[in-house]
Amino acid sequence: MKKNILKKDHVRPFLRKLARDSRLIAPVRTSHRDLLYQEIESIDSAEIDLSEQPQESAKQFLFPQQEQLFTYQNTSKGFTFSPRKSGMPTVLFGLRSCDISAILYMDVIFLRSPRDHYYLEKRRDTIIIGIGCNEPWDNCFCNATRTGPFLEIGFDLQLTDLGDRFYVESGRAVGDEILEKWPQFFSPVTEEDEKLRYQLMLEARSGFKRHVHVETAFQKIADNSVSPSVWEHIAKRCDGCGGCAYICPTCTCFTIFDRPLSPHTGERLRTWDACTHDGFTRMAGGHNPVNPATDRLKRRFMHKLYYDYKQFKRPGCVGCGRCVGICFGGVDIAMFVDMVCAEKRDQRQSAAVIGDLLVEAGLITRKQLSEALEKRDRTGMPLGSVLMEMGIVTKEDIANCLADKVERL
Amino acid sequence: MAGLATTFGSGAMTNSINEITGAEVIFVIGSNTTEAHPQIARRILEAVDNGAKLIVADPRRTELSRSAHIHLQLRPGSDIALLNAMMRVILSEGLIDDAFIEMRTENFKELRKHLLSQDIDKLAAVSGIPVSQIKKAARLYAGAQKGVICYCLGITQHICGTANVESIANLAMLTGHVEQAYTGVNPLRGQNNVQGACDMGAIPGVFPGYQPVSDPVIREKFERAWGQALPSEPGLTITDMTHRGRKNGIRAMFIMGENPVMSDPDASKVEETLKGLEFLAVSDIFLTETASLAHVVFPAASFAEKCGSVTNSERRVQLMHQAIPPIGECRSDSEIITELAGRLGYTMAYENSAEIMEEIALLTPIYGGIFHDRLETSWGLQWPCPSRDHAGTPYLHKYSFARGKGRFVPAENITPDELPDDDYPFILMTGRVYHHYHTGAMTRASDILSREVPEAVLEINSDDAREKGLRHGDMVSLRSRRGEIEVRVKPVDTISRGMLYVSFHFHESPVNRLTNPALDPVAKCPEYKVCAVNLEKA
Ligand code: SF4
Ligand code: SF4
Repeated sequence: MKKNILKKDHVRPFLRKLARDSRLIAPVRTSHRDLLYQEIESIDSAEIDLSEQPQESAKQFLFPQQEQLFTYQNTSKGFTFSPRKSGMPTVLFGLRSCDISAILYMDVIFLRSPRDHYYLEKRRDTIIIGIGCNEPWDNCFCNATRTGPFLEIGFDLQLTDLGDRFYVESGRAVGDEILEKWPQFFSPVTEEDEKLRYQLMLEARSGFKRHVHVETAFQKIADNSVSPSVWEHIAKRCDGCGGCAYICPTCTCFTIFDRPLSPHTGERLRTWDACTHDGFTRMAGGHNPVNPATDRLKRRFMHKLYYDYKQFKRPGCVGCGRCVGICFGGVDIAMFVDMVCAEKRDQRQSAAVIGDLLVEAGLITRKQLSEALEKRDRTGMPLGSVLMEMGIVTKEDIANCLADKVERL
Repeated sequence: MAGLATTFGSGAMTNSINEITGAEVIFVIGSNTTEAHPQIARRILEAVDNGAKLIVADPRRTELSRSAHIHLQLRPGSDIALLNAMMRVILSEGLIDDAFIEMRTENFKELRKHLLSQDIDKLAAVSGIPVSQIKKAARLYAGAQKGVICYCLGITQHICGTANVESIANLAMLTGHVEQAYTGVNPLRGQNNVQGACDMGAIPGVFPGYQPVSDPVIREKFERAWGQALPSEPGLTITDMTHRGRKNGIRAMFIMGENPVMSDPDASKVEETLKGLEFLAVSDIFLTETASLAHVVFPAASFAEKCGSVTNSERRVQLMHQAIPPIGECRSDSEIITELAGRLGYTMAYENSAEIMEEIALLTPIYGGIFHDRLETSWGLQWPCPSRDHAGTPYLHKYSFARGKGRFVPAENITPDELPDDDYPFILMTGRVYHHYHTGAMTRASDILSREVPEAVLEINSDDAREKGLRHGDMVSLRSRRGEIEVRVKPVDTISRGMLYVSFHFHESPVNRLTNPALDPVAKCPEYKVCAVNLEKA
């Protein structure tokens, strides 16, 4: 695939060409200093800013928060329906690697058969021009989800910031076409450019401030060794506001409402939904199979860290870090992964302590202990319970053992 | 608010929200924090994660009480009994902070005398909490270095609201839990700008910044700025205005962003009053129940369609930016007011909200250094902020109370105005749910929020429900001395027998037709939280 250099001075003229017959979306610094992906009305007045990760993902441009599906009229002859106007070609410019990976994820969800017509109609005519991240931000962990900081596939063009110029590579035929259509903006890549780019990529990979062990968490969940207390701890902190799902670039659940527009007409809308909402699973009679006190976040995290892994061999989280800090209860996926990984260690440690104490006290043998440990790993039950179930020790034995230990301390 | 003013000299939160994270003991009373103030609940839970101890006093087993180390499930309206009992324990066990009381407070003798005259077993019986639990809570709170109290409408919406707050202040001062970071008394404000509205003088009797209208020097300052003679008498409180009935001396009313037909107690009376007016104008973002009664309705812009500042619970003045242009014909509140004033013959020519802020700074000492350009680049400034070079005030009453010395104001327990009897054997409490805001004027227009909580539910103790033959989803008619509504029941285990709880957001079940308009004599806040009702299957 083709590689070129684009001087920063030429970005605006280049975008002007791209915007001529497409809607152009790019990260814009708003008047109150937020950085948001926005539709560019005027190339000259918008402050396009590629220096940071935008606060929201680009999800809304392919899967809007609220979208009209059709309108209906109720006439004397019954209902008639009018489809909504279809979208126009779109260029998504300056997308971060996580946001592109999220679109690839949405493709899998919406374009599996039966295809989602409303998504397809927008996605079909969308060109994606991404930018790799030279410096990961505080909450990013795309290294752990393998969705950044630079991508190998998924983009039409990918930029790398080399200071006064961008290194531009194309990832698909559409990208090649763009480079060929406006050759005046591009110059050949030198060996020095290649070296610099390689160096920046290496630096970026080593620049992560957080280490979120997503794969380990998957293993633990697969081994069924997340204790109920972890789920309860986070469920207690979740108010079911849906904020994490709304901000998440890969959360794709929606619901459908009809809304009257006048006494005889109305519209059908689809709106983002969230699995942490009560109404998401509540039955008509009021019963909710998801117990909010213990399981409220189970579906969300299991989906992203387990079911998706099993189905697609990768997590349903792209490590963008946006849900970190958005939650009223201080819950987020990175914190959950940390908890799961830490928990196992603690459990093992305390189990080891109890096991050793029991052996020391002559109440069980090493062999019994290793059998029990194996069973514990299989069932996810605490070691003490396993031993009691095996009929080797009683509750009192364990309590006495621990009490002795405390006294000796 | 009045309660903190008499004891500390200022009615606002003494700490910053972030300080809660660093507290050692947090005592939450009369606040369903998780549902009403999630941002504060988050700090409380963070503190608990850091090892802090949490005491929750609430008649219901709220979400937050699940994380509490001690849950005091008191009888509604018995807060003073509980607080006095705790103070009595603290006093008899010598856990008071002598140095603090000596140097920073006055009237301790009275409080001491009062507490010594109280019988702890009786107090415990009134509050319905075992003495051992009260002792545990008292020792925990008094023993902490950094103790924070948070309270909300569960404290203030009683006929003894002011005395409730004074008792909380007594408890804090008794243990010296006021003057430092991570330590204080925090009334939680339910809306993003209630504090701001009070600060701006939207209460009878004061100009912006709590400057009394009765003070001639202050009046003259405002008269000079506004070129207009100003009244020296306090205005009327909201219930004074809305509960007068027909032909009451008030001829016209302009209501902005309020829905008293839904939100005020004894709502049928309010409706009657408003219908009796010669002229009613309402400005709101949706056509509320109140707006439908108006002769003229001004469509107001929502928060997202205008620029201006709001002041939150922690006295933080923050700038809100316009996110989208106003939809349809709506206008911002300030435009509506200034245009209206202009037509009435008084010119209010402000270029923008920044200029209004400048006038606030000019006339209001506590806002003296707050300007839009300073707010633009920050997370806001906390008043008092008297001058441009002042960084704002994260916590109040450092080294001295606003009124000089903190004043102990002893209180007797005051039983609610209306207690259950044979005709009305249940106590009804009212409150909100997480997904709806106030009378639902905004939140019920959202499909998702309406789906989350589509209608009012009456929580009833499952044993009571069984006795009454009620099952989940049954409709009941709920009656008080003032009115009757229909509502669906939900048996729960989170409230004690004899209590009922219902939210007030739904016009289909307008619970304020039932509530008691009896007022706190000082703060004029009605007793929303307790009234006597009966129910039967509809
Ligand atoms: S985890 Fe947090 S952000 Fe997500 S729904 Fe729950 S409260 Fe909201
Ligand atoms: S779960 Fe959080 S970090 Fe992962 S993709 Fe969603 S918002 Fe980003």
